[in-house]
Amino acid sequence: MRFLVVDDSSTMRRIIINTLNKLGYTECREAGNGREGLDQLTANPVDIVITDWNMPEMSGVEFARAIRSNDATKGVPILMVTTNAAEGDIVEALKAGVSNYVVKPFTPATIKEKIEAVLKA
Amino acid sequence: MSVPQSLLASLVSATEEVFDTMLAIPLEARPPVTGPLEVPANVVATVAFAGHRKGLVVVYSSLAAARRITSCMLGIPLGDVNGEVPDAMGEIANMVAGTFRNRLAAVEPASDISVPTVTIGTDFSMLYSSAVHRSRCPFDMQGDALSVELILTGDQAAAH
Repeated sequence: MRFLVVDDSSTMRRIIINTLNKLGYTECREAGNGREGLDQLTANPVDIVITDWNMPEMSGVEFARAIRSNDATKGVPILMVTTNAAEGDIVEALKAGVSNYVVKPFTPATIKEKIEAVLKA
Repeated sequence: MSVPQSLLASLVSATEEVFDTMLAIPLEARPPVTGPLEVPANVVATVAFAGHRKGLVVVYSSLAAARRITSCMLGIPLGDVNGEVPDAMGEIANMVAGTFRNRLAAVEPASDISVPTVTIGTDFSMLYSSAVHRSRCPFDMQGDALSVELILTGDQAAAH
């Protein structure tokens, strides 16, 4: 299973990748914003994208819209990991094409559950 | 001028949730206070919010406590912590402010939060306009002191 982790915080990228490694997922790449993520995704496809919302250059929501509008990437599951958890935030993210949503702070069990959910969908 | 106790209770529980979930470090909350820090803070992480309410969430810690937090967050030995402290403390402030904002958004219109800023040094003060309402929530982090302050501005400052 190949993951692309997109977050402007190197700390959060490391936490998420550490969590994925603990869950047995060792093939993880990373990017610092949506623009970099899109470039990586186009060059090297992955099975799941995990992205933050608030990032410079291209936000997570803009990133999700870009993924869904590209024939080569539109089927990739997108898991958003963010502190934005108001009802309006979640609706906006889902409309943009996000497959599922994890609110920070999170446990490894939550990440596992959400990964399994997007893979089943 | 202090801030409503209900808001401070939300800030305390948000802080405890972040530390418990992401660091597995239990915090012991002390009664909220106003006035200067009892222990000098070398690391100050700030996130602003605006919308229904306007203000700041500010996390204060010693450099030693910040290094310990960073070590726990990243799962690396304390001795290996090097340049990661600013980003890690910014992420802590982001999660505390975000969780606090989400709790308020359950009962009132949501506010937006900013990206975090982190100041690290040994001889500086954090000064604000005298018109703000502010209260600080001290915590004991297994022997290390940590504080989280709520600063509110504008007409909504004292609203419950």
